[in-house]
Amino acid sequence: MSFPVPRGGRRWIPALALGVACGAHAADDAATWLQRAIQSAHSASYSGIYAHSNGDRTSAVRISHVTVGSEEHERIEPLDGPPLEIVRRNDEMFCYFPDAKTIRLDRRVTAHFFPAILPASSPEAIAASYDLKLGKTESALGFDCQWIRLEPRDGLRYAQSLCAETRSGLVVRAKTFNAQNQVIEQYTFTELKMGSQVARNDVKSIFEARVKRWVTDAQPREEAKSVDTGWTVNDPPAGFRKVTELRRSLPGRTAPVSQLVYTDGVASMSVFIEPNNTPPRTQEASTEDGTTTFFVHPQGDMLVSVLGEVPLATAQQMARSVARRP
Amino acid sequence: MTHEISSLMDGELGPQEAGQALQACCGSEEHKRTWYLYHVIGDSMRGQAPRRLALPSGVLDSLKAQPTVLAPRRKLMDTTFARVSLAAAASVATVGVVGWMGTQGGQVADEGVVARNATGLQPVANTRTQPVLDVQDYLVAHRQIPSPELYRQVNNRAAARAR
Repeated sequence: MSFPVPRGGRRWIPALALGVACGAHAADDAATWLQRAIQSAHSASYSGIYAHSNGDRTSAVRISHVTVGSEEHERIEPLDGPPLEIVRRNDEMFCYFPDAKTIRLDRRVTAHFFPAILPASSPEAIAASYDLKLGKTESALGFDCQWIRLEPRDGLRYAQSLCAETRSGLVVRAKTFNAQNQVIEQYTFTELKMGSQVARNDVKSIFEARVKRWVTDAQPREEAKSVDTGWTVNDPPAGFRKVTELRRSLPGRTAPVSQLVYTDGVASMSVFIEPNNTPPRTQEASTEDGTTTFFVHPQGDMLVSVLGEVPLATAQQMARSVARRP
Repeated sequence: MTHEISSLMDGELGPQEAGQALQACCGSEEHKRTWYLYHVIGDSMRGQAPRRLALPSGVLDSLKAQPTVLAPRRKLMDTTFARVSLAAAASVATVGVVGWMGTQGGQVADEGVVARNATGLQPVANTRTQPVLDVQDYLVAHRQIPSPELYRQVNNRAAARAR
Protein backbone atom coordinates (compact mmCIF):
# COMPACT_ATOMS: atom_id res chain seq x y z
CA MET A 1 0.00 0.00 0.00
CA SER A 2 1.27 3.37 -0.93
CA PHE A 3 0.03 6.82 -0.18
CA PRO A 4 -0.51 9.19 -3.06
CA VAL A 5 2.18 11.76 -3.23
CA PRO A 6 1.04 15.11 -4.53
CA ARG A 7 2.87 16.53 -7.43
CA GLY A 8 6.06 18.04 -6.20
CA GLY A 9 5.52 16.37 -2.84
CA ARG A 10 8.67 14.32 -3.02
CA ARG A 11 10.59 17.52 -2.92
CA TRP A 12 9.35 17.94 0.64
CA ILE A 13 10.83 14.70 1.88
CA PRO A 14 14.47 15.86 2.00
CA ALA A 15 13.30 19.11 3.53
CA LEU A 16 11.32 17.18 6.14
CA ALA A 17 14.29 14.96 6.89
CA LEU A 18 16.45 18.05 7.20
CA GLY A 19 13.90 19.57 9.57
CA VAL A 20 13.93 16.49 11.80
CA ALA A 21 17.70 16.48 11.74
CA CYS A 22 17.76 20.16 12.60
CA GLY A 23 15.29 19.55 15.43
CA ALA A 24 17.54 16.87 16.88
CA HIS A 25 20.50 19.13 16.36
CA ALA A 26 18.71 21.96 18.16
CA ALA A 27 17.96 19.67 21.10
CA ASP A 28 21.63 18.67 21.18
CA ASP A 29 22.58 22.31 21.10
CA ALA A 30 20.22 23.05 23.97
CA ALA A 31 21.71 20.17 25.97
CA THR A 32 25.19 21.51 25.28
CA TRP A 33 24.15 24.97 26.42
CA LEU A 34 22.53 23.52 29.52
CA GLN A 35 25.69 21.56 30.29
CA ARG A 36 27.72 24.76 30.02
CA ALA A 37 25.25 26.60 32.25
CA ILE A 38 25.43 23.93 34.95
CA GLN A 39 29.21 23.67 34.71
CA SER A 40 29.88 27.39 34.59
CA ALA A 41 28.02 28.13 37.84
CA HIS A 42 30.57 25.94 39.62
CA SER A 43 33.75 26.59 37.65
CA ALA A 44 33.55 30.26 36.68
CA SER A 45 34.57 33.24 38.78
CA TYR A 46 31.86 35.83 39.14
CA SER A 47 30.73 38.53 41.51
CA GLY A 48 27.60 40.62 41.50
CA ILE A 49 24.19 41.39 42.88
CA TYR A 50 21.05 39.59 41.83
CA ALA A 51 17.39 40.23 42.45
CA HIS A 52 15.15 37.29 43.25
CA SER A 53 11.37 37.21 43.32
CA ASN A 54 9.25 34.23 44.23
CA GLY A 55 5.53 34.73 44.64
CA ASP A 56 5.12 38.00 46.50
CA ARG A 57 8.62 38.00 47.94
CA THR A 58 11.49 39.94 46.44
CA SER A 59 15.04 40.12 47.70
CA ALA A 60 18.49 41.24 46.62
CA VAL A 61 21.64 39.24 47.26
CA ARG A 62 25.32 39.94 46.74
CA ILE A 63 27.26 36.88 45.61
CA SER A 64 30.92 36.24 44.83
CA HIS A 65 32.20 32.92 43.58
CA VAL A 66 35.72 31.68 42.89
CA THR A 67 36.94 28.17 42.15
CA VAL A 68 40.49 27.29 43.19
CA GLY A 69 41.54 23.88 41.95
CA SER A 70 38.69 21.60 42.91
CA GLU A 71 37.42 23.87 45.68
CA GLU A 72 34.53 26.23 45.26
CA HIS A 73 34.56 29.34 47.42
CA GLU A 74 31.57 31.56 47.68
CA ARG A 75 30.40 34.54 49.70
CA ILE A 76 26.71 35.36 49.89
CA GLU A 77 25.20 38.40 51.56
CA PRO A 78 21.47 39.15 51.52
CA LEU A 79 21.02 42.89 51.15
CA ASP A 80 17.65 43.01 52.90
CA GLY A 81 17.03 42.50 56.58
CA PRO A 82 19.49 42.11 59.42
CA PRO A 83 23.13 41.48 58.54
CA LEU A 84 23.95 37.95 57.48
CA GLU A 85 26.78 36.44 55.52
CA ILE A 86 27.32 32.92 54.24
CA VAL A 87 30.81 31.80 53.33
CA ARG A 88 30.77 28.50 51.51
CA ARG A 89 33.63 26.14 50.76
CA ASN A 90 32.26 23.31 48.63
CA ASP A 91 29.40 21.96 50.75
CA GLU A 92 30.59 23.47 54.04
CA MET A 93 28.64 26.60 54.89
CA PHE A 94 29.67 29.13 57.54
CA CYS A 95 26.74 31.41 58.29
CA TYR A 96 27.67 34.59 60.19
CA PHE A 97 24.92 36.20 62.25
CA PRO A 98 26.64 39.24 63.83
CA ASP A 99 23.56 40.33 65.81
CA ALA A 100 23.49 36.96 67.56
CA LYS A 101 27.33 36.73 67.52
CA THR A 102 26.79 33.27 66.10
CA ILE A 103 28.51 31.34 63.35
CA ARG A 104 26.17 28.59 62.25
CA LEU A 105 27.95 25.67 60.66
CA ASP A 106 25.88 23.87 58.09
CA ARG A 107 26.35 21.36 55.33
CA ARG A 108 24.77 22.16 52.00
CA VAL A 109 22.07 19.66 51.19
CA THR A 110 19.34 21.46 49.29
CA ALA A 111 20.60 25.04 49.17
CA HIS A 112 21.27 26.27 45.65
CA PHE A 113 22.25 29.86 45.26
CA PHE A 114 21.73 31.59 41.94
CA PRO A 115 23.21 31.17 39.37
CA ALA A 116 23.82 27.56 40.50
CA ILE A 117 20.10 26.90 40.77
CA LEU A 118 20.15 23.51 39.10
CA PRO A 119 21.31 20.70 41.35
CA ALA A 120 24.50 19.10 40.07
CA SER A 121 23.01 16.84 37.42
CA SER A 122 23.52 16.02 33.79
CA PRO A 123 21.50 17.46 30.91
CA GLU A 124 20.61 13.85 30.03
CA ALA A 125 18.93 13.37 33.42
CA ILE A 126 17.09 16.66 33.01
CA ALA A 127 16.11 15.80 29.42
CA ALA A 128 14.28 12.73 30.75
CA SER A 129 11.69 15.05 32.29
CA TYR A 130 12.02 18.23 30.24
CA ASP A 131 12.18 19.07 26.53
CA LEU A 132 15.23 21.26 25.99
CA LYS A 133 14.98 24.07 23.49
CA LEU A 134 17.00 27.09 22.55
CA GLY A 135 15.25 30.45 22.57
CA LYS A 136 16.34 33.85 21.40
CA THR A 137 19.53 35.64 22.28
CA GLU A 138 19.55 38.97 23.98
CA SER A 139 21.84 41.44 25.63
CA ALA A 140 21.85 41.67 29.41
CA LEU A 141 24.14 43.89 31.49
CA GLY A 142 26.33 44.33 28.44
CA PHE A 143 26.68 40.58 27.94
CA ASP A 144 25.18 38.54 25.12
CA CYS A 145 23.15 35.67 26.46
CA GLN A 146 21.26 32.69 25.07
CA TRP A 147 17.88 31.62 26.44
CA ILE A 148 17.46 27.89 27.15
CA ARG A 149 13.93 26.63 27.70
CA LEU A 150 13.18 23.58 29.87
CA GLU A 151 9.65 22.49 29.00
CA PRO A 152 8.24 19.81 31.32
CA ARG A 153 7.04 16.60 29.70
CA ASP A 154 4.16 16.35 32.18
CA GLY A 155 2.19 18.55 34.54
CA LEU A 156 4.18 17.52 37.58
CA ARG A 157 6.86 20.20 37.34
CA TYR A 158 7.29 23.80 36.25
CA ALA A 159 8.83 25.13 33.05
CA GLN A 160 12.09 27.05 33.31
CA SER A 161 14.00 29.45 31.12
CA LEU A 162 17.67 30.19 31.68
CA CYS A 163 19.65 32.93 29.97
CA ALA A 164 23.29 31.86 29.66
CA GLU A 165 26.08 34.30 28.90
CA THR A 166 27.42 33.22 25.53
CA ARG A 167 31.15 33.12 26.33
CA SER A 168 31.14 31.49 29.76
CA GLY A 169 27.71 29.84 29.85
CA LEU A 170 26.99 31.51 33.18
CA VAL A 171 23.28 31.94 33.84
CA VAL A 172 22.54 35.63 34.25
CA ARG A 173 18.75 35.40 34.28
CA ALA A 174 16.28 32.64 35.11
CA LYS A 175 12.52 32.35 35.15
CA THR A 176 10.09 29.70 36.33
CA PHE A 177 6.62 29.44 34.80
CA ASN A 178 3.41 27.85 36.03
CA ALA A 179 1.01 25.83 33.88
CA GLN A 180 -0.55 29.07 32.60
CA ASN A 181 2.91 30.19 31.46
CA GLN A 182 2.98 32.97 34.05
CA VAL A 183 6.31 33.81 35.65
CA ILE A 184 6.17 32.74 39.29
CA GLU A 185 9.85 33.02 40.15
CA GLN A 186 12.74 34.88 38.63
CA TYR A 187 16.36 35.73 39.17
CA THR A 188 18.34 38.40 37.42
CA PHE A 189 21.77 39.83 37.95
CA THR A 190 21.68 43.59 38.31
CA GLU A 191 25.46 43.89 38.59
CA LEU A 192 27.96 41.33 37.37
CA LYS A 193 31.67 41.02 36.84
CA MET A 194 33.40 37.86 35.73
CA GLY A 195 36.77 36.20 35.31
CA SER A 196 39.86 38.13 36.27
CA GLN A 197 37.76 41.02 37.55
CA VAL A 198 36.88 38.89 40.58
CA ALA A 199 39.43 38.95 43.39
CA ARG A 200 40.18 36.09 45.75
CA ASN A 201 39.32 38.40 48.64
CA ASP A 202 35.78 38.81 47.32
CA VAL A 203 34.88 35.39 48.69
CA LYS A 204 36.35 35.92 52.16
CA SER A 205 34.29 36.84 55.18
CA ILE A 206 33.79 40.53 55.79
CA PHE A 207 31.72 40.02 58.92
CA GLU A 208 34.23 37.91 60.82
CA ALA A 209 36.15 40.96 62.01
CA ARG A 210 32.99 42.68 63.24
CA VAL A 211 32.56 40.49 66.31
CA LYS A 212 35.26 39.73 68.88
CA ARG A 213 33.91 36.52 70.29
CA TRP A 214 31.79 34.39 68.03
CA VAL A 215 29.77 31.49 69.32
CA THR A 216 29.84 28.49 67.03
CA ASP A 217 26.69 26.47 66.51
CA ALA A 218 27.56 23.17 64.83
CA GLN A 219 24.24 21.44 65.37
CA PRO A 220 22.91 22.05 61.83
CA ARG A 221 26.05 20.50 60.33
CA GLU A 222 25.81 17.46 62.57
CA GLU A 223 22.16 16.98 61.69
CA ALA A 224 22.82 17.22 57.97
CA LYS A 225 24.64 13.89 57.90
CA SER A 226 22.91 11.23 55.86
CA VAL A 227 21.27 8.41 57.78
CA ASP A 228 18.87 5.60 57.02
CA THR A 229 15.55 6.94 58.26
CA GLY A 230 13.65 3.73 57.52
CA TRP A 231 11.20 5.64 55.30
CA THR A 232 10.73 5.62 51.54
CA VAL A 233 8.47 7.07 48.84
CA ASN A 234 6.91 4.20 46.92
CA ASP A 235 5.52 6.23 44.02
CA PRO A 236 7.60 9.33 43.29
CA PRO A 237 6.67 11.14 40.05
CA ALA A 238 8.73 9.99 37.05
CA GLY A 239 12.20 11.48 37.00
CA PHE A 240 12.39 12.26 40.71
CA ARG A 241 15.12 10.38 42.54
CA LYS A 242 16.21 10.53 46.14
CA VAL A 243 19.47 12.39 46.69
CA THR A 244 19.75 12.13 50.46
CA GLU A 245 17.91 11.37 53.66
CA LEU A 246 18.68 12.63 57.12
CA ARG A 247 17.24 13.04 60.57
CA ARG A 248 17.10 16.51 62.10
CA SER A 249 15.56 18.35 65.02
CA LEU A 250 12.97 21.02 64.37
CA PRO A 251 11.90 23.67 66.86
CA GLY A 252 9.11 22.63 69.20
CA ARG A 253 9.44 18.92 68.49
CA THR A 254 10.55 16.45 71.11
CA ALA A 255 11.37 13.76 68.54
CA PRO A 256 13.70 14.09 65.53
CA VAL A 257 12.14 14.59 62.12
CA SER A 258 13.10 12.46 59.10
CA GLN A 259 13.81 14.34 55.88
CA LEU A 260 14.07 12.72 52.45
CA VAL A 261 15.21 14.95 49.58
CA TYR A 262 14.17 14.23 45.99
CA THR A 263 15.04 16.02 42.73
CA ASP A 264 14.40 15.65 39.03
CA GLY A 265 17.54 17.63 38.25
CA VAL A 266 15.68 20.94 38.25
CA ALA A 267 13.06 20.97 41.01
CA SER A 268 13.58 19.54 44.48
CA MET A 269 11.31 18.40 47.26
CA SER A 270 11.79 17.57 50.91
CA VAL A 271 9.59 14.94 52.50
CA PHE A 272 9.35 15.29 56.28
CA ILE A 273 8.04 12.50 58.49
CA GLU A 274 7.39 13.04 62.20
CA PRO A 275 5.01 11.92 64.95
CA ASN A 276 1.55 13.37 64.45
CA ASN A 277 1.07 14.64 67.94
CA THR A 278 1.56 18.36 68.25
CA PRO A 279 -1.52 18.29 68.33
CA PRO A 280 -2.64 15.54 65.95
CA ARG A 281 -3.81 16.56 62.49
CA THR A 282 -6.55 14.48 60.91
CA GLN A 283 -7.02 16.22 57.56
CA GLU A 284 -4.75 16.98 54.64
CA ALA A 285 -3.88 20.63 54.06
CA SER A 286 -1.76 22.68 51.68
CA THR A 287 -0.36 26.11 50.93
CA GLU A 288 1.19 27.50 47.76
CA ASP A 289 3.27 30.60 47.10
CA GLY A 290 5.27 31.23 43.96
CA THR A 291 7.07 28.01 43.15
CA THR A 292 6.87 26.72 46.70
CA THR A 293 4.22 24.21 47.64
CA PHE A 294 3.62 22.74 51.08
CA PHE A 295 1.35 19.76 51.60
CA VAL A 296 0.67 17.84 54.81
CA HIS A 297 -0.80 14.34 54.94
CA PRO A 298 -1.68 12.59 58.21
CA GLN A 299 -0.77 8.94 58.04
CA GLY A 300 -1.84 7.08 61.15
CA ASP A 301 0.29 8.21 64.04
CA MET A 302 2.73 9.93 61.69
CA LEU A 303 2.52 13.23 59.83
CA VAL A 304 4.01 13.47 56.33
CA SER A 305 4.82 16.97 55.02
CA VAL A 306 6.17 17.74 51.56
CA LEU A 307 7.73 21.09 50.69
CA GLY A 308 9.24 21.82 47.31
CA GLU A 309 9.31 23.82 44.12
CA VAL A 310 6.66 21.72 42.46
CA PRO A 311 2.93 21.85 41.65
CA LEU A 312 0.55 20.66 44.34
CA ALA A 313 -0.26 17.38 42.54
CA THR A 314 3.42 16.39 42.70
CA ALA A 315 3.65 17.05 46.42
CA GLN A 316 0.43 15.10 46.97
CA GLN A 317 1.67 12.10 45.00
CA MET A 318 4.86 12.08 47.05
CA ALA A 319 3.21 12.44 50.43
CA ARG A 320 0.53 9.84 49.82
CA SER A 321 3.02 7.16 48.87
CA VAL A 322 5.34 7.43 51.87
CA ALA A 323 5.81 4.10 53.61
CA ARG A 324 8.12 2.28 55.97
CA ARG A 325 10.97 0.69 54.10
CA PRO A 326 10.52 -3.08 54.18
CA MET B 1 -7.27 61.94 71.03
CA THR B 2 -6.15 58.60 69.59
CA HIS B 3 -9.68 58.16 68.26
CA GLU B 4 -9.45 61.50 66.45
CA ILE B 5 -6.06 60.57 65.00
CA SER B 6 -7.44 57.29 63.78
CA SER B 7 -10.46 59.03 62.25
CA LEU B 8 -8.19 61.61 60.65
CA MET B 9 -6.13 58.89 59.04
CA ASP B 10 -9.27 57.21 57.79
CA GLY B 11 -10.52 60.47 56.26
CA GLU B 12 -13.58 60.45 58.43
CA LEU B 13 -13.26 63.99 59.80
CA GLY B 14 -14.69 67.14 58.30
CA PRO B 15 -12.39 70.03 57.38
CA GLN B 16 -12.80 71.82 60.72
CA GLU B 17 -12.42 68.68 62.83
CA ALA B 18 -9.46 67.61 60.74
CA GLY B 19 -7.76 70.96 61.31
CA GLN B 20 -8.30 70.70 65.04
CA ALA B 21 -7.03 67.14 65.12
CA LEU B 22 -3.91 68.10 63.16
CA GLN B 23 -3.19 70.98 65.51
CA ALA B 24 -3.66 68.82 68.57
CA CYS B 25 -1.63 66.03 67.04
CA CYS B 26 1.35 68.23 66.27
CA GLY B 27 1.28 69.87 69.67
CA SER B 28 2.06 66.75 71.63
CA GLU B 29 4.98 64.35 71.38
CA GLU B 30 2.73 61.54 72.51
CA HIS B 31 0.18 62.28 69.80
CA LYS B 32 2.90 62.59 67.18
CA ARG B 33 4.16 59.21 68.24
CA THR B 34 0.67 57.78 67.98
CA TRP B 35 0.32 59.31 64.53
CA TYR B 36 3.62 57.71 63.45
CA LEU B 37 2.76 54.39 65.04
CA TYR B 38 -0.60 54.17 63.31
CA HIS B 39 1.04 54.86 59.95
CA VAL B 40 3.72 52.24 60.55
CA ILE B 41 1.07 49.67 61.41
CA GLY B 42 -1.05 50.66 58.42
CA ASP B 43 1.90 50.56 56.04
CA SER B 44 3.04 47.21 57.39
CA MET B 45 -0.40 45.68 56.97
CA ARG B 46 -0.50 46.90 53.38
CA GLY B 47 3.00 45.58 52.79
CA GLN B 48 4.31 49.13 52.28
CA ALA B 49 6.53 49.52 55.31
CA PRO B 50 9.79 51.34 54.71
CA ARG B 51 12.94 49.34 54.01
CA ARG B 52 14.26 49.81 57.54
CA LEU B 53 12.16 51.14 60.35
CA ALA B 54 13.87 53.71 62.54
CA LEU B 55 11.55 52.99 65.42
CA PRO B 56 11.99 55.01 68.60
CA SER B 57 12.11 52.69 71.58
CA GLY B 58 8.77 54.02 72.77
CA VAL B 59 7.16 52.89 69.58
CA LEU B 60 8.25 49.34 70.23
CA ASP B 61 6.60 49.54 73.62
CA SER B 62 3.49 50.93 72.01
CA LEU B 63 3.48 48.18 69.45
CA LYS B 64 3.72 45.68 72.24
CA ALA B 65 0.73 47.23 73.91
CA GLN B 66 -1.45 47.12 70.81
CA PRO B 67 -4.21 44.51 70.86
CA THR B 68 -3.56 41.71 68.39
CA VAL B 69 -6.36 41.42 65.93
CA LEU B 70 -5.36 38.51 63.76
CA ALA B 71 -3.14 36.31 65.82
CA PRO B 72 -2.99 35.15 69.42
CA ARG B 73 -0.98 37.54 71.57
CA ARG B 74 2.73 36.83 71.57
CA LYS B 75 5.35 38.31 73.86
CA LEU B 76 7.51 39.23 70.92
CA MET B 77 9.30 42.27 72.17
CA ASP B 78 10.81 40.90 75.31
CA THR B 79 14.09 39.73 73.86
CA THR B 80 16.88 41.02 71.70
CA PHE B 81 15.83 38.38 69.22
CA ALA B 82 12.47 40.03 68.98
CA ARG B 83 14.01 43.33 67.98
CA VAL B 84 16.13 41.60 65.37
CA SER B 85 13.04 39.81 64.12
CA LEU B 86 11.24 43.09 63.83
CA ALA B 87 14.02 44.42 61.66
CA ALA B 88 13.78 41.31 59.51
CA ALA B 89 10.05 41.66 59.45
CA ALA B 90 10.25 45.25 58.38
CA SER B 91 12.64 44.35 55.63
CA VAL B 92 10.46 41.60 54.33
CA ALA B 93 7.48 43.89 54.51
CA THR B 94 9.18 46.35 52.20
CA VAL B 95 9.30 43.93 49.37
CA GLY B 96 5.90 42.41 49.71
CA VAL B 97 4.07 40.41 52.25
CA VAL B 98 3.90 36.72 51.67
CA GLY B 99 0.49 35.75 50.49
CA TRP B 100 -0.24 32.12 51.06
CA MET B 101 -3.57 30.47 50.85
CA GLY B 102 -4.38 27.48 52.93
CA THR B 103 -6.58 24.96 51.22
CA GLN B 104 -8.32 21.81 52.24
CA GLY B 105 -9.46 19.67 49.37
CA GLY B 106 -9.57 22.68 47.10
CA GLN B 107 -11.54 24.78 49.54
CA VAL B 108 -10.22 27.71 51.47
CA ALA B 109 -9.20 26.40 54.85
CA ASP B 110 -11.24 27.43 57.81
CA GLU B 111 -9.16 25.68 60.39
CA GLY B 112 -5.53 25.82 59.39
CA VAL B 113 -5.53 29.47 58.49
CA VAL B 114 -2.37 31.29 57.59
CA ALA B 115 -2.32 35.06 57.75
CA ARG B 116 -0.32 37.69 55.99
CA ASN B 117 2.42 38.81 58.28
CA ALA B 118 5.58 40.77 57.84
CA THR B 119 7.72 37.83 58.92
CA GLY B 120 6.21 35.57 56.31
CA LEU B 121 3.68 33.02 57.28
CA GLN B 122 2.08 33.54 60.63
CA PRO B 123 -0.20 30.99 62.17
CA VAL B 124 -3.51 32.47 63.13
CA ALA B 125 -6.09 31.47 65.67
CA ASN B 126 -7.01 27.83 65.42
CA THR B 127 -10.75 27.91 65.38
CA ARG B 128 -11.42 24.22 64.82
CA THR B 129 -9.78 21.01 65.80
CA GLN B 130 -6.97 21.05 63.21
CA PRO B 131 -3.59 22.50 64.20
CA VAL B 132 -2.39 25.56 62.31
CA LEU B 133 -0.45 25.00 59.13
CA ASP B 134 2.96 26.44 59.90
CA VAL B 135 5.60 26.00 57.20
CA GLN B 136 8.38 28.08 58.76
CA ASP B 137 10.53 25.31 60.13
CA TYR B 138 10.15 23.21 56.99
CA LEU B 139 11.17 26.16 54.81
CA VAL B 140 14.38 26.64 56.77
CA ALA B 141 15.16 22.91 56.70
CA HIS B 142 14.46 22.59 52.97
CA ARG B 143 16.00 25.74 51.58
CA GLN B 144 18.96 26.32 53.89
CA ILE B 145 18.83 29.90 52.73
CA PRO B 146 18.61 33.15 54.67
CA SER B 147 15.11 33.92 55.75
CA PRO B 148 13.41 35.58 58.69
CA GLU B 149 12.68 32.06 59.90
CA LEU B 150 16.38 31.30 60.00
CA TYR B 151 17.07 34.44 62.03
CA ARG B 152 14.39 33.33 64.44
CA GLN B 153 16.01 29.96 64.95
CA VAL B 154 19.51 31.34 65.36
CA ASN B 155 18.44 34.04 67.77
CA ASN B 156 16.38 31.57 69.75
CA ARG B 157 19.49 29.45 70.20
CA ALA B 158 21.54 32.51 71.18
CA ALA B 159 18.89 33.51 73.72
CA ALA B 160 18.78 29.98 75.11
CA ARG B 161 22.57 29.98 75.53
CA ALA B 162 22.42 33.32 77.34
CA ARG B 163 19.93 32.00 79.90
